[in-house]
Amino acid sequence: MAVTAAAAALAAGPSPQRRAGLGPWFAVTPMLGWLALFVIVPTLMLLVISFCERDGLGRIVYSFTFENYTRAFDWKWLKILGISVWYAFLTTAICLVLGYPVAYFIGRSSERVRGLLIMLVMIPFWTSFLIRTYAWISILSQDGLLNALLMTLKITSAPIGFMYTPFAVILGLVYNFLPFMILPIYTSVEKLDGSLIEAAYDLGARPARVFSKVVLPLTQPGMAAGILLVFVPAIAMFAITNLMGGGANPTIGEVIQNQFTKARNQPFGAALGVLLLAIFILSLWLSSKFRRSEQE
Amino acid sequence: MTKHKTKLIAAACAGAMLLAGCGKKDETLKLFSWSEYVPQAVIDKFTEETGIKVSVENYSSNEEMLAKLLAGGGAYDLIQPSEYAVQAMIKEDLLQELDQAKIPNLKNLAPEFRNMPFDPNNKFSVPWLAGFVGVVYNAEVVPGPVVGYKDVFTDEHAGRIVILDDARETVSWGLATAGIPINNVTDENLATITPLLKDWLGKVKVFDSDSPKTAMSNGDTDIGIVWSGEGALLFAENPKFQWVMPVEGVHMFVDNLAIPKTSQNKDKAEAFINFILRPEISKMISDEFPYYNPNLAARALLSPEQLNNPASYPPGFDVTSAQLFTDLGEQASKVDELITTLKAQ
Amino acid sequence: MMDASLLPPGRRWWLPQGPAVQRAFFGGWTVAVFAFLYLPIALLVVYSFNDSKLNLYWTGFTTKWYGMLFGNEVLLRAFQNSLIVATATTALSVVIGTSAAWLLYRYRFPAQQTLGLLIFIPMVMPEVLMGVSLLVLFVSLGIPLGYTTLIIAHTTFCFPFVLVGVQARLQGIDPSLEEAAMDLGATPLKAFWLVIIPYLLPAIVAGALMSFTLSFDEYIVTIFTSGADSQTLPLKVYGMVRVGLNPQLNALSTMFIAATAVLVIASQVFTRKKTV
Repeated sequence: MAVTAAAAALAAGPSPQRRAGLGPWFAVTPMLGWLALFVIVPTLMLLVISFCERDGLGRIVYSFTFENYTRAFDWKWLKILGISVWYAFLTTAICLVLGYPVAYFIGRSSERVRGLLIMLVMIPFWTSFLIRTYAWISILSQDGLLNALLMTLKITSAPIGFMYTPFAVILGLVYNFLPFMILPIYTSVEKLDGSLIEAAYDLGARPARVFSKVVLPLTQPGMAAGILLVFVPAIAMFAITNLMGGGANPTIGEVIQNQFTKARNQPFGAALGVLLLAIFILSLWLSSKFRRSEQE
Repeated sequence: MTKHKTKLIAAACAGAMLLAGCGKKDETLKLFSWSEYVPQAVIDKFTEETGIKVSVENYSSNEEMLAKLLAGGGAYDLIQPSEYAVQAMIKEDLLQELDQAKIPNLKNLAPEFRNMPFDPNNKFSVPWLAGFVGVVYNAEVVPGPVVGYKDVFTDEHAGRIVILDDARETVSWGLATAGIPINNVTDENLATITPLLKDWLGKVKVFDSDSPKTAMSNGDTDIGIVWSGEGALLFAENPKFQWVMPVEGVHMFVDNLAIPKTSQNKDKAEAFINFILRPEISKMISDEFPYYNPNLAARALLSPEQLNNPASYPPGFDVTSAQLFTDLGEQASKVDELITTLKAQ
Repeated sequence: MMDASLLPPGRRWWLPQGPAVQRAFFGGWTVAVFAFLYLPIALLVVYSFNDSKLNLYWTGFTTKWYGMLFGNEVLLRAFQNSLIVATATTALSVVIGTSAAWLLYRYRFPAQQTLGLLIFIPMVMPEVLMGVSLLVLFVSLGIPLGYTTLIIAHTTFCFPFVLVGVQARLQGIDPSLEEAAMDLGATPLKAFWLVIIPYLLPAIVAGALMSFTLSFDEYIVTIFTSGADSQTLPLKVYGMVRVGLNPQLNALSTMFIAATAVLVIASQVFTRKKTV
């Protein structure tokens, strides 16, 4: 009991915020300036474009219209958005389950091994995304390695179509996002106080209890960060879903991309993008409000 | 007095030249082309012969090229638009007229490519390579006969089909099958072919415009509608991949070189165009990309295998009968929405 | 050996329990995940020695792709550009992300919550939107497209990854850490540098690794914000898909991975020597 209380106190400690003096204001100006110029201004531009029209060549015509938004609020686009969110959710969940034990193992390893292992997690992704994905295609395709292996081991008698299925899509997504789950969780695990865990074991707790009552709460910030860094980018991802899924199930990222290329309708793409941003910001704001009320 | 005058003029000229050099006048030829569509060997040879350096930027679709060009991102000297993009750009006055006196090698082009509907008499553009969209199938698995689009989307092939991830293309096959001219992309015609397309798209396993041959080679699909270059690569890999020009109607695409209005190096660009029209250079391009070469003199240099590839040079096919795309303008958005919706069903 | 009567009821004393089992289980899981991560990489390496260009069937062993790679100036130049851009992006992202995370944590700024939300926009925004809007911005500001614009664009969507990671590490930091340093006479800046940064180091390293990876492989934003002299590796690679991915790419990737792995292992060996 004492252990869990201590753990809880450490996990939910309030930040000792001071009012910003001159120095901190000066220090934060570069980031503010960056945000203002390269984030806010482009976002505002998108907002403006989303209310515009376009001509036959795809150039933007600056005349105010709501048509892009009325067009966006259609079931067909919302369905595609829903599928994208669902894929992102599945990917995040699987990454969490697969990645947490790895992060835990690396974080609790000796200092020498730790650095090596964490680099080894990332190194495969310093190859080009396309050759990695094509390597997966050659593993999973009908004439590929996996089928060859399964048939040689006599587990199956005919090749299975792994490629161009939702299974392939999730596999591709999980593969590409796994390090972005492992790394943040690792940073939380790394600062775990070993004596806390030892104490829990000495008090006779089973590993499962130690985990759920001590380790998981303490690594919660890392998990939250990992979930954020996987779920958020995964929604707008389309290159992987396109290559691994055969393009059969378009994602919202692909739809927006198409507006800027084949469909030559930049304002509509901008409107969809603004909506996506709005959904995000709303859910982030809601979740922070929820967290605040929880702490009180 | 005259002596002083000439000296002054000479000094002024020298000064101007110096200033021009100081002002960093762009001496390099800025090429904005499809990714990997201009062989590096060709560029290197051009620089070797003329001393003109070439800088290359790539794009992967006409619209991407237009987006970057229109946004003003870089004064390009040469671009590689497809035929409908050339047509649209001529209409919007975005291209410079070519000085044909500087491009004598135009005579090497086959006559049907000298006067295409989207740019009569090559006023603004010069064809690079042409190609078709047709049917490829694995003859070991598909018994045939396969003659057209309707033979692709049969129930036996459901889940074993690969087609291009191109909404305009897909719609054109539907229109051709329904007997409607492929450039008549009106809302009514789209509505007419929607049930047909819905049935078709439900049977497709893979949509891929970049490398549809992958799905065929890997055995994940048995039949598909792909670019002729892809079909040619498949045929060269294994003759079991047969190529068929659809009987409902074939359309041809033509990629061209053109000079945007913003270019400052027109004469260098024209020199490059003239260079690639040389038979031996054009042959180098054909060696890398087994599409349809509009350069007759170059075709004479190709090997028998290249010429006998049914996807590159369809036997008995009358090129003048092929249809070309016209620019869709705002309808492009409707087409894209239709196909995206049908895919997501 | 514990007295059996002290064990919680139902626990079988003859089975190995506690930390040892946990460690073995997690260790095995980690090995399995690493196998998953490296499977396509192993394949990639094998194919770099494959005689066939299309990478579908093994036709024979050859090192010719490596030879051709060394003559392939365009590809090597693109690779170099990617490295330059990714390194600069990582450096900038780490600086901006870490300092921002610390300042937001430590000091109360007006509209703090809005700032926090704004930071997420580059992560959420689809890449094509960011690419196009940044292109328009750069053109209207008159900045020529090249390394600068590319690095700015990449940093914009990379630094939130550093920031989020550092923020997570800051939660639950012992507040007395900074206080103790300042009690000993350090200014806030010095305390930050000498005490906080070392504490944050794993998060900073993690953020740096993520930034580098994201920037190195970024395609869409790069298309819109790069100039002719800053063509990066992804741009070249994506173009190759249509004619078949050149095995020279496999050779390049193999060498890069090998070089990095050697560097990492070597640095670990040298650190070990230092502590001795």
